[in-house]
Amino acid sequence: MDRRTFVIGTTATATAFAAGPAFAQDAFPSRAVTIICAFPPGGANDIVTRPIAAALEPILKQPVVVETKAGAGGQVGAQVAASAKPDGYTLLSHNNGISGYAEVDKLFGRQPKTTRADFIPLARLIADPVLLVVNDQQPYKTLKDFIDDAKKRPEAIVYSSGGLYGATHLPVAIFEKATGIPKLRHLPTNGGGPAITALLGNNAQMSTQTVSATLQHIKAGKLRALASFGGARSKVLPDVPTLKELGYDAEYYLWVGIFAPKGTPASALATLSAALDKAAASDVFKNVVSGLGQEFAYLNAKDFEAFWTADAKRSDEAVQLIGKQG
Amino acid sequence: MESTLLSLAHGFAVAFQPDNLWYAFLGCLVGTLVGVLPGIGPLSGISILLPVTFGLNATQAVIMLAGIYYGSQYGGSTTSILMRIPGEASSVMTCIDGNAMARKGRAGAALCIAAVGSFVAGTFGVIMLTLVAPPLATIALRFGPPEYTALLVLGLIFLAYMSSTSLVRTLLMACIGLLLGMIGIDNMTGHFRYSFDLAELGDGIGIVPVAVGLFGLGEILSTPSHKVRGEVISPKFRELLPNRQEWGESVMPIARGSVLGFIIGIIPGSAHIISSFLSYALEKRVSKHPEEFGKGAVAGVAGPESANNAASTGAFVPMLSLGIPTGPITAVLIGALMIHGVPAGPQLVTEHPDLFWGFVASMYVGNLMLLALNLPLVSVFVTVLRIPYAYLYPLIIMFCIVGVYEVSHSIVDVYIMLIMGVLGYGLRKFNFDPAPLVLGLVIAPLLEQSLRQSLIMSNGNYFIFFSRPIALGLLIVCAVLLALSALAFALKRKDWRAKLAEAEAGEAQG
Repeated sequence: MDRRTFVIGTTATATAFAAGPAFAQDAFPSRAVTIICAFPPGGANDIVTRPIAAALEPILKQPVVVETKAGAGGQVGAQVAASAKPDGYTLLSHNNGISGYAEVDKLFGRQPKTTRADFIPLARLIADPVLLVVNDQQPYKTLKDFIDDAKKRPEAIVYSSGGLYGATHLPVAIFEKATGIPKLRHLPTNGGGPAITALLGNNAQMSTQTVSATLQHIKAGKLRALASFGGARSKVLPDVPTLKELGYDAEYYLWVGIFAPKGTPASALATLSAALDKAAASDVFKNVVSGLGQEFAYLNAKDFEAFWTADAKRSDEAVQLIGKQG
Repeated sequence: MESTLLSLAHGFAVAFQPDNLWYAFLGCLVGTLVGVLPGIGPLSGISILLPVTFGLNATQAVIMLAGIYYGSQYGGSTTSILMRIPGEASSVMTCIDGNAMARKGRAGAALCIAAVGSFVAGTFGVIMLTLVAPPLATIALRFGPPEYTALLVLGLIFLAYMSSTSLVRTLLMACIGLLLGMIGIDNMTGHFRYSFDLAELGDGIGIVPVAVGLFGLGEILSTPSHKVRGEVISPKFRELLPNRQEWGESVMPIARGSVLGFIIGIIPGSAHIISSFLSYALEKRVSKHPEEFGKGAVAGVAGPESANNAASTGAFVPMLSLGIPTGPITAVLIGALMIHGVPAGPQLVTEHPDLFWGFVASMYVGNLMLLALNLPLVSVFVTVLRIPYAYLYPLIIMFCIVGVYEVSHSIVDVYIMLIMGVLGYGLRKFNFDPAPLVLGLVIAPLLEQSLRQSLIMSNGNYFIFFSRPIALGLLIVCAVLLALSALAFALKRKDWRAKLAEAEAGEAQG
């Protein structure tokens, strides 16, 4: 190597380094992308985020790392993502919870840490309709039986949820309002699994849980689904009527979505959103969704935004209906 | 019975297929590493390796992932014994007598006993799982909030046997633990309690940062202030193995720990954390030499180590026969099964007998593999103690920080650990034992939640605790224990003040 090429080479390298940020913007992504998962392993978020990350890697041609930041019902992860540098390299995997924090904070007179405006929706990965399930020791055969009994015995029927103002608590509030029944008695637990355990052990009589979480127990006859909060009947449970069919205006899904922090450049958003569309069409991801017993419910950025707006409205209303406890 | 044996034989045929054997080995190997390295816990180990299993079939996946889980329970005691760092909540009790044994030059013996105890307990757990899983799981479901409350009251009573210092000091520590356990979101109303506007404190103070800080860091901080022996212990191979007396002292604790751990393990919820605490307290209660506890009692290692292993196997009972998770790790395993299109539920045994029995059989094989992996490693681990403190301790501090951060990727946890380290140093100087504090921290949120859940179920009526047979039974055990202690006082014709003064005097001398 003579001196001239050395100088040229060094200068070129130095220029490339100096132009680093601008260069990176042109060819996003130029390094690993991190998806912050706001819920611990074992939950739906973790289960669907890891395969989507695996499917994204060959498309973005960069490593996609899933980093768990769980805690306080998903608030820790949301706060971390909201305060991350909005350059497209930090994304957030969250669920219904992200809609309600601000409303709950308002209820308690707290300054909201994050609001919906802090996040840009990129994709809805799954949407699992919620079912109203009772255990096999209950006499109810139809939703009408349940509603009649609930009217007769106010605050006597106990329902379990995965946590206050959570995705398995809000649907009950929506249901109470739609049917006009007096309030049911709430047994909060610390997660979806414990809530189902409480129901199976007859420590609670009813719960609103997703199709994939309860399907096996329904098939085994331990739980009975009286109605679905879905827009249409579930393909795996065709005999369960939807609340809409029965004439009640109630709809609720447990969904998982990918978000970017506010301020992420539009070019990065376009790349990510196109990559997510492609990753969702991959076999790896589709197999996981069907393995979970769910129907394919992916929504791209535009459709997800519309869905999220409607869903957040339902969630805010439900939080207000529940009000402040104790 | 006959059909069970037949199915199990079929399961062994599945488990002995070379592929499955290989994945069981791989899982156990990773599990051992995960258990020994303080930087990574079984939960993150399993979830990181989950995508790797996408190419495997469901049986191979669950054999490997479960191997990581029960494998990590073997290695978990290593850092507790050698360096007094509990890698997870269940090895807190091993720190006390395990590390005391190591100080007496019996680190090898402690590690061997822990490995053999784990093996016996693991195998006992699998045998029970094979024989009685379905009926037992149904009983476990009846363990609701009132039963939990009663079990935790029993745990509180056992607190008194937790520590080698005086009762007053023990209770003081326990109270601080209970108070710390109050931090976090109130599950019943949604209020943040003592969280100082930190979302990271919303789920309360983690057990691992507190335990690592109080035990590990506190120990390291206090080392420079007392005389450190200059020479390095380099035991001969023969001295690595437990002697006849040590074996003899560990037989019954291993047996009791196995049974106790398995029973607690099958209860859905987070009760398995307290299995090692209860086992330690039980051993101290039945021991003829309770004064040896805290100073290197073999039973104080053998019992809790067996109990936590049996509990981890017991956790598979509700998971396999009912499809309900007993904790975060079984929840991940259920998720892994679902991804592979095998929904865990009550019909798993009938719909996927290959997977069910293959998995059960693989655990027999896996436990043998783990014993074979862990016993030779004892001599390797013991050599760690030959590293001079000046080099070893900075390394340990690094591992503490990395390990605590890794649990929930939270820098707040690292600060908690550092604060607890300073507190641990202070407690050591003033001769307080941190174990009751940790147990208080474990019990407080569980007790509060189950008590309030019970009262929601009964609409505020306390009679619910006496109207359910299991809860009533546990409360009667509590009453008997209290009555026995009261009787001992009465027979000695001393009131508690005199006894207390005596205890304090004894402590001042010692």
